[in-house]
Amino acid sequence: MTSIGGVGETNSSISVRGMWKVYGPKPERIVGSELADLPRKQLHAQTGNVVAMRDINMDVAPGEVFVVMGLSGSGKSTLIRCLTRLIEPTVGTVRIGDVDVTAADKETLLDVRRNKVSMVFQHFGLLPHRTLTDNVAFGLEVRGVDKTERRRKANETLELVGLSEMGSYRPHQLSGGQQQRVGLARALATDPDILLFDEPFSALDPLIRRDMQDEVIRLRHEVSKTMVFITHDLSEALRLGDRIAIMRDGMFVQVGTPESVVVDPADEYVENFVRDVPRSFVVPVEHVMRDVDGEAQFSGSVSLGTKVRDIVKLVASSELPVEVVDESGRQVGCVDRVHVLSLIAGSEP
Amino acid sequence: MSQAVLPAAPAPVALLGRTTTRVVGVAAVIVGIVVFKVTRQQNVPSWLDLHVQRHAQSVYHWIVQNTGRNWFLDAIKSIGNGITWCQKRGLTFLRLLHWTGVVALTFVIGYLRAGWRTATIAAASMFAIGLCGFWDLTMVTLSIMIVAVAFAMLIGVPLGIWSGLSESAERRLRPLLDTAQVMPAYVYLIPCVAFFGIGVPAAIVATLVYAVPPAVRLTSLGLRQVPVVSTEVGMSFGSTGPQLLRKVQLPLARRSVLLGLNQVIMMAFGLVVIASQIGTGDVGVRVLAGLQKLDANLAFSAGFCIVFAAIALDRITTGERSLKPGRPMPKWMADRRALWAAGLAVVVVAALSAKVLSVQQYPSWRVGIGSWAKSVIDWLDKHARHGVPLIGGTDSFNTFLVRDILIPFRSMLQSAAWWLVVGVVTLIGWVSKGWRLALLCALAFTGIAAMHNWDLAMDTLSQVLIAVIISVCLAVPIGVWSGRSRWLETALRPFLDTAQVLPQFVYLVPVVFLFRVGPTPGMIAAVIYALPPGIRLVSLGLKEVPLAPREAAISFGATPRQELIKVQLPLAFKSIMLGINQVILMVLATVIIAGLIGGGALGLEALGGFTKPNIKMGDGVAAGVSIVLLAMVLDRLTQAWGNRSDQEDRPT
Repeated sequence: MTSIGGVGETNSSISVRGMWKVYGPKPERIVGSELADLPRKQLHAQTGNVVAMRDINMDVAPGEVFVVMGLSGSGKSTLIRCLTRLIEPTVGTVRIGDVDVTAADKETLLDVRRNKVSMVFQHFGLLPHRTLTDNVAFGLEVRGVDKTERRRKANETLELVGLSEMGSYRPHQLSGGQQQRVGLARALATDPDILLFDEPFSALDPLIRRDMQDEVIRLRHEVSKTMVFITHDLSEALRLGDRIAIMRDGMFVQVGTPESVVVDPADEYVENFVRDVPRSFVVPVEHVMRDVDGEAQFSGSVSLGTKVRDIVKLVASSELPVEVVDESGRQVGCVDRVHVLSLIAGSEP
Repeated sequence: MSQAVLPAAPAPVALLGRTTTRVVGVAAVIVGIVVFKVTRQQNVPSWLDLHVQRHAQSVYHWIVQNTGRNWFLDAIKSIGNGITWCQKRGLTFLRLLHWTGVVALTFVIGYLRAGWRTATIAAASMFAIGLCGFWDLTMVTLSIMIVAVAFAMLIGVPLGIWSGLSESAERRLRPLLDTAQVMPAYVYLIPCVAFFGIGVPAAIVATLVYAVPPAVRLTSLGLRQVPVVSTEVGMSFGSTGPQLLRKVQLPLARRSVLLGLNQVIMMAFGLVVIASQIGTGDVGVRVLAGLQKLDANLAFSAGFCIVFAAIALDRITTGERSLKPGRPMPKWMADRRALWAAGLAVVVVAALSAKVLSVQQYPSWRVGIGSWAKSVIDWLDKHARHGVPLIGGTDSFNTFLVRDILIPFRSMLQSAAWWLVVGVVTLIGWVSKGWRLALLCALAFTGIAAMHNWDLAMDTLSQVLIAVIISVCLAVPIGVWSGRSRWLETALRPFLDTAQVLPQFVYLVPVVFLFRVGPTPGMIAAVIYALPPGIRLVSLGLKEVPLAPREAAISFGATPRQELIKVQLPLAFKSIMLGINQVILMVLATVIIAGLIGGGALGLEALGGFTKPNIKMGDGVAAGVSIVLLAMVLDRLTQAWGNRSDQEDRPT
C-alpha cells in the first residue's frame, strides 16, 4: 500500500508499519510465527493468546479521510486506539507527522495527544459531572489553558456544531445526536491536525446519523483535517471515505477508493459486503465511458468523477450519448444509454 | 461427561443422580440420629483446650502493667490521647453552634445536597432530639461519631483509591475486607479496650475500624465502575495520571464515595451507641440504664434520640439533587462556592442568635414521647399477654418460643457429641461447595471447640438459627409479594427505609418491655432488624428478572403462580440467597448484642471482656474468637448456596 500522490512528511500524516496487537501471555512470540496463522479458537486453546490485529500497514495523507470498515471483533477499535497508544501495540511503528509515536517518551506522547490528535468516541464519552462548556473545554483544560480562555474557546466551538446557548446544560439533558455534536466539538476545540472517529454515529438512529455525516462532510470542506474514521456501516464508509480499508480478523483485506472496493472487490468476503450496494451510486462515469467514435451530437455534458446515477436523467431523455469532459472542459469520451442501464442492472457492460 | 474440561470443579453432589442423592441423604440422616443417640454428652476433651482465656488474660495484665514503660504501649496511649483531644474539640464545636446552629447546619447541608424536603425532614429530626430530652448527651454521641467517621474516611478513601486503580492492591485487600464485613460490631471493642482501656478512645478506634471497610469498598467500586470510555477520553486528550484521577475518575466515582460516606456514618452510629458500654457517657448509656432498670420512659426517650439522630444523618447524606431534563442548571445553583458560603452564614447567624436571645441551652420544651410509648407498652402488657386470638399473646409466645423451641433445640446441640457437630457442619460445607469449604468449616468449628466455651457457642448458634428461620419464613414471602405487587412495595418502602438506618440497639428497647429479659427479645429484635434487608433483596431479585422470559412464560399460557415458580423464583435465586446471607449476618450481630439484656451465651461473655477487662478479658477474647469463627462459617455457607446456581447452568 502506498500513500496517495506521494505526499511527503507533514505534521498531519499518519504512517503505520507492521503493527500487531496480541493479547494474552508472552504476546511477542506469536507475532509473525506460524502460531499466528492458527484459527482463532485453536490459538486461544493452545496458548491463551488472541490476535486482535496483525501486520497492519497504512499511510494516511494530510487532509485525507481514511475509513476503516469491519464487523465487530475485526480489530478496528484496537487499531484506532493503538494510533495514540491508548492501547499499546505489541510490535510495529506509528508515525504521526514527524513523531515516532511508538518510540515516544511520556512527554512527547502527552504532547501528541494534547495538541495533534483528538478522538470522537462511539458512546460519546461525555463526562456527566461537567456542563457542556466544561466538557468541550476538557482538552484545553488538561493542556493547562486558563479558565476564561478555554471557556471562550469551548463556547465558540459549541456554536460551530449548532449548540450555542446550551453551554450550561449537562450531557444527560441532551439527545444522542446532540451529545455526539458535543463530542465532536470537544475534539475540535483543541484544534488538532488529526481527528480520530471510533464508530461515532453507530449509536444514533438513521436520520440523525445522516445529519452527522453531513456535518463531517461540511467540516472537511471548512477545516482541512486528516481523519481516520472507524465504522461498521458500509454506506457510511462509502459516503465519507477518500479511501476505505476493509478489515477482517485483524487484517486489512482490501484498501482502496470507494469505487474500487465496490467494482473490484478483493475477495469473496468483500464481495459479500458490497453486493447490495447500488453500484451506480459509487461508480463514476469514466468506468462506463468509451472513446468518442465520430459523434458530434450529445444529450449533455458531464465532468469526470460524476457518479453514474447522476446522469440517469440525461440518458433517459434522449437516444444520444452523454459527453464526458475533464476539469479543463476537454472532451475525453462519452457514455451510452446501454452502458448505464447494464451497470444499474448489475451486469458488466 | 463434559465436566473434565470445565475450569472449576462443580459441587460433588452434582456428580450423583437425583435419586442417589436422596437415598444417600436419608441414610445420612438415619446414621446421624443413631450416632447422636449413642455418643451424647461427649464433651470437648481437655487436650483440645487452647487455654485462650488464661493467655489472653495474662497478656492484658502485661499491657496494663507495662503502660508507661514500653514505647509501643506508650505510642498507643498517645494515639488515644490525640483521639480524645479531637473528640473534645468536636464536642466544643457542637456546643459552640448551640442547638440552633446544629439544626441550621443540618438544614443547610440537606438543602444544598438534596433540596427543601430532605432539609426539612433532617432538620426536624435533629430538632426532635431535644424534644425527647437528651440533647447534650446526643451531642456527645455525635462528637464521637464525627471523629470516628472523619478518621474512617481519611483512611478508607485513599485505600479505596489504591484498590480501585490497582489489581494487586485489590487482591491484597479483599480477604481483609471480606473478613471485616462478617465480624459483628461488638467484637471490635474487645481488642480496643485491651489496648486503649475503657473510655472514649477505645470506642472511637473500634468504630473507625468497623467503619473503614465500606469506605474502602465503595470508593474502589466507584472507581472500577467508571466507564472505560471516560478513562479513554481522559487519556486521549493527554491527561496525566493525577489529572485523570482528579478530573475524570474521582468525579465519576463521587456518588459511590458518598454512598460509602453514608454507610460509614450509619455503621459508626450503630457501633457508637453500643460502645456506650465502655463509659463514653453518651445517650446510649441512658438507653441501657432504662433497659436494665426496666424504666420504659427513660429507655424510649433516649432510644428516640438515637432514632432521630440516625434519620437526620441518613437524610443529609443520601439525598442528591437531580436536574430536570431539558433545562439547564439555574445560574444561582451553578456557583457552588457562593452557595456554601451563604449556607455557612446562615449557620453562623443561627448560632449567634441563640446567644443573643439567650437560649444557649435547649429550652425545656418536651414531648412526652417516652411516657407515651410507655403507656402503649403498658397497655399492650396488660391486654396482650395472654388470650390474643391466633398469636396467643406476648407471654404465651415467649413461653412457646423458649420452652418448646429454643430449649429443646439448644439442648440437642449442646448434648450432641462435639465432634458430631463439627462433622455435620463439615459435611454441609462439602455438599455446598466441595472440600475447601469443608476444610474451612472443620477448622473453624474445631477452633470454637478449642476456645473452651462450646456450650455457650451452641447456645448462640441455636438462638441464631431459630431467629434466621423465623426471619427467612417472613422475609421471603413478604419479599415475593412486594416484588409482585406495586402497592405493597410502595406501602412498605417508608418502613424499610427507616428501619434500615436504625442501629440494632434501638430494636431491643420495645421488645425487652414486651417480652421481658431473656433470650426472646434478642431473637425478636434480630428478626426485626434483619427483615428489611431480607425483604428488600428478595423483592429486588424478583423485580430484576428480565421481562423477556416472563413474557415468554405468559405467552405459553403460564398462570401467575407458574410464572412465579417456574421463571421468577429460579432466576431470582441468587439475589434471594444474598438476602438470606445478609439476614444471617445481621441476626448474628443482634443476638450477640442481646447478650446484655438476658440473651446470655457468647454475647454476655464478650460483653464482660470490655466492661470488666480486669477479670473477664480472657473470657471476652475467647468468646470474640468463637463469634468470628461462627460468623465466618455461616457467611461462607450461605454464599456457597447462592453461587451454586451458576454451576447448575452447566451441562452435566
